[in-house]
Amino acid sequence: MGENKNTEIMLKDIGMIYRTNDNKDVTALTSVNLDIQKGEFVSLVGPSGCGKTTLLRIIADLITPTSGEIKIAGETPREARLKRRYGIVFQGAVLYEWRTVLKNIMLPLEIMNVPKDEQEERAMKMLELVGLTEFANHYPNQLSGGMQQRVGIARALAIQPEILLMDEPFSALDEFTREKLHVDLLKIWRKTNKTIIFVTHNISESVFLSDKVCVLSPHPGRLSAVVDINLARPRTMEMKTTQEFTNLVAKVRNSFEGV
Amino acid sequence: MIKKRISVDSATSVVYPLAFGIIIVLMWQSGMLHKILKTDEYILPYPTRIFQIISENSDKISQNAASSVFVTVTGLVLGSILGYLAAIGATVSPRFGKGGLTVISAFNAIPIVAMAPVIMNWTKDISSKAEIRSTVAKIIVVTLMCMASMSINAHRGLNELKPFSLDLMKSYAADKKTVFLKLRLPNSIPYVFTALKVSVPASVITALVSEYFAEYRAGVGRQIRENILIAQYATAWAYIAVACLIGIILFVLLLMAESIFLRKRRSH
Repeated sequence: MGENKNTEIMLKDIGMIYRTNDNKDVTALTSVNLDIQKGEFVSLVGPSGCGKTTLLRIIADLITPTSGEIKIAGETPREARLKRRYGIVFQGAVLYEWRTVLKNIMLPLEIMNVPKDEQEERAMKMLELVGLTEFANHYPNQLSGGMQQRVGIARALAIQPEILLMDEPFSALDEFTREKLHVDLLKIWRKTNKTIIFVTHNISESVFLSDKVCVLSPHPGRLSAVVDINLARPRTMEMKTTQEFTNLVAKVRNSFEGV
Repeated sequence: MIKKRISVDSATSVVYPLAFGIIIVLMWQSGMLHKILKTDEYILPYPTRIFQIISENSDKISQNAASSVFVTVTGLVLGSILGYLAAIGATVSPRFGKGGLTVISAFNAIPIVAMAPVIMNWTKDISSKAEIRSTVAKIIVVTLMCMASMSINAHRGLNELKPFSLDLMKSYAADKKTVFLKLRLPNSIPYVFTALKVSVPASVITALVSEYFAEYRAGVGRQIRENILIAQYATAWAYIAVACLIGIILFVLLLMAESIFLRKRRSH
């Protein structure tokens, strides 16, 4: 994997070893090599304990790997974080319950000292993008789980990050809401052209959304395969019943080692 | 999605206690309560008699009530502010802070009857007027009692954050001051009210008991004690009724403040 002008994220030989309380070393990740291109939709899929969330948190500079090298468009993850190149969507929506939906989306803009009227304008634009304009002045606990998660996505996009990191964002939602959000997310992705890294344990979800599915296997956590998903865009719900889709799901499933 | 249960809530929190209170007063006035408690109208005067004494001595009673309320509220405010500041300190430097909070909460374990005389002794030189000396001493006792519950609860409110909310702040490259103002402080508000729900009744009781030990004779608690000593039970009961009223009014004010502050976040 050579240097490519279009490479947004370069991971080289990433390893993460945790020391437990009783002084034992646990290898969460070992020698992960991965290049992610600008504008790509990449999933990290695997069972619990495979290190997929750890890998996402390493990219986000929320934790530091014990070995290896990362470059985010030529910079360190820390530099990228300080320049606010990441938008993160967590497993729960992590909305602040004392703020309205609009004020939640304005939170990162306040921290970035964006002028007051521009904050509101940008936040409203993001709400429109996720289709929640009429809920601007509601409080988070007045919204359903799916709506809360859409607010979380709007907030992540509000800072206009180059990279959107999503950590099992839909895992707590019901199947119907999740499928709806899949289609919505792909629309948003097409409009905004972000690089998206999407962590999930749902194989079908990863195949449906991604250009590339990175299969992680546990004990120790490692990247065991990268499956290219050549399904046409835009993706539609009907594709899920095609033989091509089923074959890709099977291919991803068969790439797991030691599960 | 927006609940409409306010009417149900006010029924359970206002109407039922009120009905219970009215039943007790009726039993009391009719003498039924005296039979149940095996006592007489001299030791437990009728409500009408108590009310009569309150109206006949309204000037003296309101003077004493004002003294008690002043001590209670000043101590409550000071103690709560100091407790909150201690919680901030413990959050900023956890190493010293945790131990500090333990020391503060140890004050909670000291009985007022033991603490009050010690503090009366501290303040004996601060003023030539006994009234000021005593008032300061009583306020200090209340302050110390209120500090503990506020510092423990506020510390929890500043630190028990929802999962990932700190990660979110980190991803915005937010500095510590921003994390404090935009996350920790608003997160702590419900915990502040939890602390006050303990502190408000406790501060009333502390103020009343600390009056027993004060050099200067003032306050509702002091009057209860003096009148019981001279077997003026009806007058003592008048002051007891006033003490209850002070406690109830302060608590209702607190609940009203809470419903204004937390109205928006508790609407699930």
